[in-house]
Amino acid sequence: MKLDPVTLATPFFILAIVLEIVLARLGKAKAAYEWRDVRTSLLMGLGSTVAGVLTGGIAVAATLYVYRFHLFDIPMNAWWAWVLIFFLEDFAYYVFHRLSHERRIWWASHVNHHTSQHYNLTTALRQTWTGGLALTWLPWLPLALIGFPPAMIAIEKGVSLVYQFWIHTEAIDRLPKPIEAVFNTPSHHRVHHARNPRYLDKNYAGILIIWDKLFGTFEPERAEEPVRYGVVKNLGDFNILRVSFHEWIAIGRDLLRDPRHALGYLFGPPGWSPDGSRQTSAEIKAAWRRRTAEAS
Amino acid sequence: MTAAFLIQTIVSALAVFALVGLAAWLGRPKASAPLDEAAARRLFAEELPGADIDAVWIAPDGKSALARSGDAALIAYRAGDGFVVREAPLSVLSAARLQDGRALLSLDDVAAPRAVFALPTGAPWPPRALVS
Repeated sequence: MKLDPVTLATPFFILAIVLEIVLARLGKAKAAYEWRDVRTSLLMGLGSTVAGVLTGGIAVAATLYVYRFHLFDIPMNAWWAWVLIFFLEDFAYYVFHRLSHERRIWWASHVNHHTSQHYNLTTALRQTWTGGLALTWLPWLPLALIGFPPAMIAIEKGVSLVYQFWIHTEAIDRLPKPIEAVFNTPSHHRVHHARNPRYLDKNYAGILIIWDKLFGTFEPERAEEPVRYGVVKNLGDFNILRVSFHEWIAIGRDLLRDPRHALGYLFGPPGWSPDGSRQTSAEIKAAWRRRTAEAS
Repeated sequence: MTAAFLIQTIVSALAVFALVGLAAWLGRPKASAPLDEAAARRLFAEELPGADIDAVWIAPDGKSALARSGDAALIAYRAGDGFVVREAPLSVLSAARLQDGRALLSLDDVAAPRAVFALPTGAPWPPRALVS
């Protein structure tokens, strides 16, 4: 049997969602559920599985090709190899995730995950349909070049995805300090899903929050500033095609209107425009800081 | 696609159907009261900080609101239990299509292409407070 952590964990995902809905209903847990939002999240998850089958071959072929040139022979049955790949895969995820927020061409495939105005376990399943085609698997290729077998990389990626499921919840407030210090937790990831200017483009971690602390992208959740979920400009409805493709269509429109600035529209940060008529996250944050300073 | 994948997809689709049903039955959406002027002003201030609001108009069902900010129209409407807010040229109001007691605004935005506003019976469009 093929070892796929995500497939193995799927029954747990379903049970956990049922539990969250029921506990929220009984007033025992904090969780808002809007059925159309749930429908969108789950259909995005289902569609992502199908898209993965249709486009996943590109990533597999690239990984196998790069592995032909691997620098070291790393055995799958060595404990140290699993320790090593745990850290390296998690760092690859950080790189992927940061670029997916800071470069529009990858943001277009990742934005769907942030389009819910809710934050519950179904939000975790609101996955991309276009990541394979957008080559967002590139940050993992160096692992194959180092010498980690492609199957090992795939398993560790699955472990990371399974880990990230349970942190999409408001039902868990804060965990003990040593855990919050090292691991990505519901609290840290709520910040990541926020659209408050203070919280924008923070906490890119997969499993370990240490990367954000190392590279200056960490922001703690603050009780005095409750998280508002979603994207800076929320979507007008729950249409899954709009969720999946709206940013790609917006990029296409920009390129048709002004092809001279194609590089900026594709590789600049989301919100970049040649005339400054739109706002990037950095500009939104700067404006917020100015307003805050003037008010105090 | 293999038969196993097909079966997995069908079972997943059934699980999606069941979970959506459960969420519709037992799920508790966010509490969001109908908009009044104070709530609309708070919403616009939160979503479009820095916009000076000259006038506000609230739809009779409390599900949407408009505001004038200089030459711009601030638009808010409910989507599920949340709100969607946009800023557009004031001219979108006069270009709106009126149909079945509603005003349909076309927005030049693929993420939110259309906003719908319930209208009070017999009231003029655009609302006088916003265009006078």
